[in-house]
Amino acid sequence: MTGPDALRSSPVVLRGRFEQGRGRAVQRHSVPRRLDWLLLVAVAVLTVVGLLLVWSATRPQELTAGGDPRAFLKKDLINLAVGLVLGCAVAAVDYRILRAYAPFVYLVSLLALMAVLVVGTTINGAHSWILLPAGFQLQPSEFAKVALIVSLAVILGAKHDDQRSGVRVTPGDRDVLAALALAVVPMGLIMLQPDFGTVMVFVFVILGMLAVSGAPSRWVVGLIICGVLFGGAILQFHMLKPYQEARLTEFVKSNRNTTSTGYNVDQAMTAIANGGFTGRGLFHGQQTQGQFVPEQQTDFVFSVAGEELGYVGAGGIILLLGVVMWRALSIAADAGEPFGTLIATGVVCWFAFQSFVNIGMTLGIMPVTGLPLPFVSYGGSAMFANMMGVGLLQNVRLRSRTDPHAL
Amino acid sequence: MTDRLGLRVVVLRVLVVSLLIALGGRLWYLQILSGDHYRKVAESNRVREVVTPATRGMVLDDDGRALVRNRTSLVISVDRSVVDRQPHAGRAVLSRLAPVLGMSLGELQQRIRFCTATVKPPCWNGSPYQPIPVATDVTDEQALSVIEHADTFPGVSADLQAVSQYPYGELASHELGYLAPVTQDEIDKYGKQRGYHQNSLVGAAGLEDTYDSYLRGADGVKKLEVDRFGRVVNVAATTPPTSGDNLVLNLDAKVQKATEQALANQLSVLRSQGKSAATASAVVLNARTGGVVAMASLPNYDPSVFTGGISEKDYRALTDPANGIPLLSRAYQGAGAPGSTFKIVSFSTAVTKMHADLNGTYGCPSTLQIGGQTFHNFEGEAPGDVSLHEAIVVSCDTIFDTFAYDAWLADGGLRQGTAARAKANEYFTTMAKAFGFGRQTGLDLPGETSGSVVDRADATKIWDQLKGSYCRRAKNGYPEVKDPATAERYREYAQEACTSGYLYNGGAATMFGIGQGQYLSVSPLQLAVAYAAVANGGTVLKPQLAKAIVSADGKVVKTLKPVVTGHLPVSPQTLGYLRDALHGVASEPGGTATGVFSDFPPTVPVAGKTGTAEVEGKSDTSWFASFAPVNNPQYVIVASIPDAGQGATFAAPVVKEIYQSIYGIGQSAAFPGGTPPAALPRTNPDGSISPPASIAARATAGRVAVPATSGGAPVPASSGGTGGPVSALAAEPPLRAVTTRLGGPR
Repeated sequence: MTGPDALRSSPVVLRGRFEQGRGRAVQRHSVPRRLDWLLLVAVAVLTVVGLLLVWSATRPQELTAGGDPRAFLKKDLINLAVGLVLGCAVAAVDYRILRAYAPFVYLVSLLALMAVLVVGTTINGAHSWILLPAGFQLQPSEFAKVALIVSLAVILGAKHDDQRSGVRVTPGDRDVLAALALAVVPMGLIMLQPDFGTVMVFVFVILGMLAVSGAPSRWVVGLIICGVLFGGAILQFHMLKPYQEARLTEFVKSNRNTTSTGYNVDQAMTAIANGGFTGRGLFHGQQTQGQFVPEQQTDFVFSVAGEELGYVGAGGIILLLGVVMWRALSIAADAGEPFGTLIATGVVCWFAFQSFVNIGMTLGIMPVTGLPLPFVSYGGSAMFANMMGVGLLQNVRLRSRTDPHAL
Repeated sequence: MTDRLGLRVVVLRVLVVSLLIALGGRLWYLQILSGDHYRKVAESNRVREVVTPATRGMVLDDDGRALVRNRTSLVISVDRSVVDRQPHAGRAVLSRLAPVLGMSLGELQQRIRFCTATVKPPCWNGSPYQPIPVATDVTDEQALSVIEHADTFPGVSADLQAVSQYPYGELASHELGYLAPVTQDEIDKYGKQRGYHQNSLVGAAGLEDTYDSYLRGADGVKKLEVDRFGRVVNVAATTPPTSGDNLVLNLDAKVQKATEQALANQLSVLRSQGKSAATASAVVLNARTGGVVAMASLPNYDPSVFTGGISEKDYRALTDPANGIPLLSRAYQGAGAPGSTFKIVSFSTAVTKMHADLNGTYGCPSTLQIGGQTFHNFEGEAPGDVSLHEAIVVSCDTIFDTFAYDAWLADGGLRQGTAARAKANEYFTTMAKAFGFGRQTGLDLPGETSGSVVDRADATKIWDQLKGSYCRRAKNGYPEVKDPATAERYREYAQEACTSGYLYNGGAATMFGIGQGQYLSVSPLQLAVAYAAVANGGTVLKPQLAKAIVSADGKVVKTLKPVVTGHLPVSPQTLGYLRDALHGVASEPGGTATGVFSDFPPTVPVAGKTGTAEVEGKSDTSWFASFAPVNNPQYVIVASIPDAGQGATFAAPVVKEIYQSIYGIGQSAAFPGGTPPAALPRTNPDGSISPPASIAARATAGRVAVPATSGGAPVPASSGGTGGPVSALAAEPPLRAVTTRLGGPR
């Protein structure tokens, strides 16, 4: 497998192993040794780069407002700390025990999604946030992603443990229907906010998990066809709000400047192209420091990377995201049992879809949706959820039945 | 099953990797392949320019008198970037400001709105970051009420700014020209190369136009980096303005003043006689260099009406034919038949091409029958057989009619381009063109007329273009002409032009010989250039107003040397004979201008030729073309007064008056010693201008010579010469001038 190979060639990992080896006899099942260090390093670098970009993106607006230029950096660091705790907590509990808590997690996420409809705050057209004291906000839909992945993994991987050893049974129609029923409720609630982007994350997580679970392929194909038809119908009959429709359709038009959405994308593309190969330097991007790209610390953070870090930095972010997904897929492949595989698959689909749509949107090849870039964009809830996602991956990795080092 | 699960994960891997590769590729395309385009967009996004106008150069006469300079003016400006941020977009501020400026709120709001495709003036078409001048020349009280209550007038400022000033008012207005706000079209076409900015003023006419690139200097530019909200983030670059160069002219303010005065006097004389003459023009050339010493056309205008943008009403007045179209200079933009002044060409053609004998005599009958037309001598005089000298002195028409008619016959008459004469000699038109007629002289002003010299080929070309309208007129007549007889006559002309307009008309060709008819029109300037060629021994010179370009700190940037545009194909002997004859016109008994110059001192012998050109429906145009002194000509002076009468009666006295002012006959001399200053005016360390060294020396003659640069008050120009101040220039401002000019606010 490539994963373990990469692991062995990683200097960080090698040094870690070397030190451990010198210190005391390495336990075969020691936690540090079984952690996916490459994944952690990639996530750590992305997070640090993200912190810097958020700092650079928010500094000018804070300066002109007479605020603390590091205000966002500090909040982001707090978010990161909380996220790390959450991630460790998620990683620590054996994921197989999580299965028992899955219904509870699912119900809590539903309650939070309902609560946001009642006491939530509208930001950028979506009623998705619950305001907390000290300027923090909670976005329940981010946690719902984690909850959904765990819940779907329970249903689609549930029976497999009960099978006699050696023979595995893939989910049947009843399992698929149950999974879809489980997914429809939070998706409907999120649609009410409305947060179309997160719904699409759910759709692709479901599709990915269904496909990998080995569910009847007619379900996967059928769902894709339904999705396409539904999407077509939505556009045909103008069931979306005009701004949503504009976001969806505008990225294929050449003249975008007519609307605010088009303005965002044009400015983002200008910023990215302005970076060139090596970038303008952190805090020196003209578009970024002039705040020409709205939402540049959240949804359009990649434009900051493109302008200030250039192709080297922005391409590096894409590469690091690739490492995260590659490792996560290795974890999925090596989990050794369907529940773990499906959890890892769900997390990969979530990260991959958000990364592709977010970067694609700033590059003008995807419609504008309010999806953050995993690990990089500013946002507490997203940070927490992402770290929980990484915690889930490490959790599966730690308890995988296949020992990668035994190969 | 594990294998199948592994396979499904591999599919997912492939999918994820290809999506990421797609992103990487798109990123490469944007950042590496199309970076340049977007970098420009990013640049224009964030960089705003604030322009500090350069100090525009002055226009100085040959003695260093400023004809155009700057004066300071108190200007109240509104900075939209500040005012707009006040509550209700600064409505309260503007309501307070409007009564201070004595205008309505609506008027004020109009002045500060930004021009767009749909918003037409009054509006501001400069940079939104530039304070918008809303009132110029405000009083100290108005300025103080703004400055002292800065808190109630946020974004409103009162500053001293420089605006164009014309110390001599209307003097030489056609030559100086004026400034106009740059148009978007000009910015698009030349903005980069000439350094125009949104609110630049550019020379739109006259010398301001021709020498704009020298006069304008280079505007200072402050490049401000702004954010999305237009707030200034950083000053990216600052280029200080560079002052424009001063333009030194050959033109002399005193001679110019005398010229305009002489023309004005004559027009008022004409008016008192009940004549309808309303326009007049005159040109004074340096016969040796082509330098334009004076050039005037009445009516003229005060160029300051263009300062701060001309109103539509003023502009209409300047272009109204009822006012004589003051904007048009008859001296170089208007052309007409030159009458007998043209006989220098006819004489040269006859002698050079048609073997006329300088020692022979020619019959000068009072009338001449040519092809059914009768040609009269002026007032039917019949001096009998005369020499060519005598023919010029008494201005015999029939001799030159005959030469022209013979040349027409020799070219085949009406049977042009066929049989024997496939190619016409065109003696007369060729000689006219050699004298500089029929083309622009190359004067350093825009919009010069080329007049017309029509030969056979031209006549055919013109007919090809116009036969349609001729024939339509022949058919439909002239219903708009009230007098039926006149309308019928016009219709007959049209009828003839329609059927045989391509034929080179024998009558018109004959009249060409005496400077009349439809095949010839010349501008006074062209005539002056031709007379300069006769005077200087055959060199056709380009008339030039500018003498030199001098930088603000006194370095000579460029000297405009005399430019030769041609040589007369006439022998020196013939030209000497001609000059002698022209002297006779103003000195011999029977000379057409002898009476006018009878009281002139012999120290300034004048040679010249009168001209009386017939104009359909009007009185004759009175011409006089001359040069002096005869033996070594220094000046050529031509005057032309349309709708007046005989050349000797109206134009010649004007020319005489101008000579008097130059040589100081009965008054103080504009050019003591009769020569224009050779040296350039001197630039003092403080940027002020002193007269050329020679003039200053003369001015201080008999006293201890104190160089004007040594600090004291500059020598007033009017103290030149021997007598007291010249009365005509008594109001002339001293040379201690505000020496800066801004191409500033409109």
